[in-house]
Amino acid sequence: MKKRAERFKLYEYGIFAAVTAVTVIVCVCLGSVSVPVSETVSAIAGAVRGLFTGVAPPETTNASVIVAVRLPRVLAVALTGASLSLCGAAVQGLLRNPLADASNLGVSSGAAVGAVLSIAFGFSIPGLFQAGTMMSAMVFAFLSLVLILGLSYRLDYSLSTNTIILIGLIYTMFASSVTSLVVTFAGSKVQSIVFWMMGSLSGAKYRDVVVLAVSLAVFGAVIFRYARELNAFAIGEDNARNVGVNVERVKYAVLIAVSALVGVCVSIGGSIGFVGLVMPHAARMIVGPNHRRLLPAVTFSGAVFLMLADLVARTVLSPRELPIGVVTSFVGAFGFVLIFYQTRKGR
Amino acid sequence: MKKICALLIATLLLASFAACKGGGTQAPPAPEGRPVTDMTGRTVTLPEQVERIVVLTAGDCEILYALGAGDKIVGRGEYCDYPADVLDVPSVQSGYDTNVEQIVALKPDVVVMSTMAQTNEHIESIEKVGIPVVVTEAPNLGGVYEAIALLGQVVGKTSEADALIQSMKDAFAALEAKVPQLEKKPAVYFEVSPLQYGLWAAGSGTFMDELGNMLGAENIFADLTGWVQVSEEQVIQRNPDFIVTTTMSYEGSPDPIEEIKSRAGWENITAVASGRILNADNDEITRPGPRLADAARQLFELLYGGAD
Repeated sequence: MKKRAERFKLYEYGIFAAVTAVTVIVCVCLGSVSVPVSETVSAIAGAVRGLFTGVAPPETTNASVIVAVRLPRVLAVALTGASLSLCGAAVQGLLRNPLADASNLGVSSGAAVGAVLSIAFGFSIPGLFQAGTMMSAMVFAFLSLVLILGLSYRLDYSLSTNTIILIGLIYTMFASSVTSLVVTFAGSKVQSIVFWMMGSLSGAKYRDVVVLAVSLAVFGAVIFRYARELNAFAIGEDNARNVGVNVERVKYAVLIAVSALVGVCVSIGGSIGFVGLVMPHAARMIVGPNHRRLLPAVTFSGAVFLMLADLVARTVLSPRELPIGVVTSFVGAFGFVLIFYQTRKGR
Repeated sequence: MKKICALLIATLLLASFAACKGGGTQAPPAPEGRPVTDMTGRTVTLPEQVERIVVLTAGDCEILYALGAGDKIVGRGEYCDYPADVLDVPSVQSGYDTNVEQIVALKPDVVVMSTMAQTNEHIESIEKVGIPVVVTEAPNLGGVYEAIALLGQVVGKTSEADALIQSMKDAFAALEAKVPQLEKKPAVYFEVSPLQYGLWAAGSGTFMDELGNMLGAENIFADLTGWVQVSEEQVIQRNPDFIVTTTMSYEGSPDPIEEIKSRAGWENITAVASGRILNADNDEITRPGPRLADAARQLFELLYGGAD
């Protein structure tokens, strides 16, 4: 087997970034309303020029579609895919568990409970619509993660795959029953909650893009910083401690970063399954298991995957839209079975 | 000893089973009364005088009140909330959660429900207890008239039902007569959910679509059926002249009309640029009941200005 480089080389960054950029361009050019490529380019160029010169570009229907609707959506989807995949890779590394992911650990459903509670009880931060929902989703995501891992530790110190998946599954069912209970008592807010639960990234705007970008930059940086330590976790927590890793500190820092990222993603785009589970495996096949290479690779490939899934969701039934989760779950379920089969087959 | 115990238990079980069966045969005597054919074509035998009604669907509940039979309602489905008087009536679960025991405990002479929300199993199990079930099914205005006539028959208020149907027809006809002849039909976008949750629109086969057509407007999503999730790009491209949203506002949420106006990329849509957006009452415009006439009046005002 050929020896893989220790780091993610500059040219590798270049390749992954180029593929991501091409995907962005393709996804912006294709959509429910067909806009000629030349008009797409001039609309974006006009908007960018307008940004610097302060002169608003001429407003046409096609320009609105591209600049105000499609571009922010594609960017939001890319950032969500990147965040969820990065979280998946971090959790899998931390727990030494190839089947771990924010969605099957119960973190996403925990975040959803937080979001639904905040809508039902009108928990909001004055002046910032939806900021309350986001905070609540983040807090509940973290509490859920602590609860699930705490319980798993008590049952099984080695945190084996089965224990975590089972507890996560049970917690997910518990969380969805809590959500249903809240809906039962929500009265007039039922409509908002139901629509939130069906929610998607379809209405994403630049404000969401900024929030997602900032959270990925901040919390993603935390995860990236611990790439070397995540490698040490691969040989077991005790061994990691023996080679000088501050295990507790790394664990909490990574878990907080993951909950925060998942909380932000869920509050903006709802729960999107399977991305964080499958993408780390796909990336591992390309760049290998070293987290210093895996983390950057999975961030880019997660973005590409979710952008393509969203492209299918918004074009295949046009003028209707499919929820993006339908596409990711469809593809992801097959991926999950494949991974499960491969990891189990060798035993 | 063990054997005797087992034998005893078996006997007891058998006996109780037999008792259950015996109870069944004592069920109501051959039904006497008047036959009524409901909207699914079933013939139901009702007592001469219907005094106690459990109604599960909101539209039927509104019809019963409009017929002056509101005082006969002894149980209402949880979503029946109009007129306000009905809130004093005990509520029962409805839809998929329909609870037969709750309904039986209210000792109704008849249960009124709709097939949109209830399954046939529920209907069967209520009828097994000897309570007749009248089913309404009103996917369009014609269906609403039929439902009114049927419920008039059930409560013995046929002339009131005829009058109610006539008044609705008159109200619609009066509006239709005032629809101006335009070269291009006004295009309307009926929105069911706000953007942040993914856009849901009313396509053809909905009351919104039917009322719009009646008033000379064209639903921009008439090519889709029922309530559908649509692409935001499509709304912008189809450029509606009017927008009707049924979003309900709650504390902390922005006003639905202001929220639509604030959407990026929507400022060029004719309806948004000219501010022709209506926040319609969701219950009025979606329930198969007498208030559809009020919804039509609101829609007319949006499209053509004052109805007078």
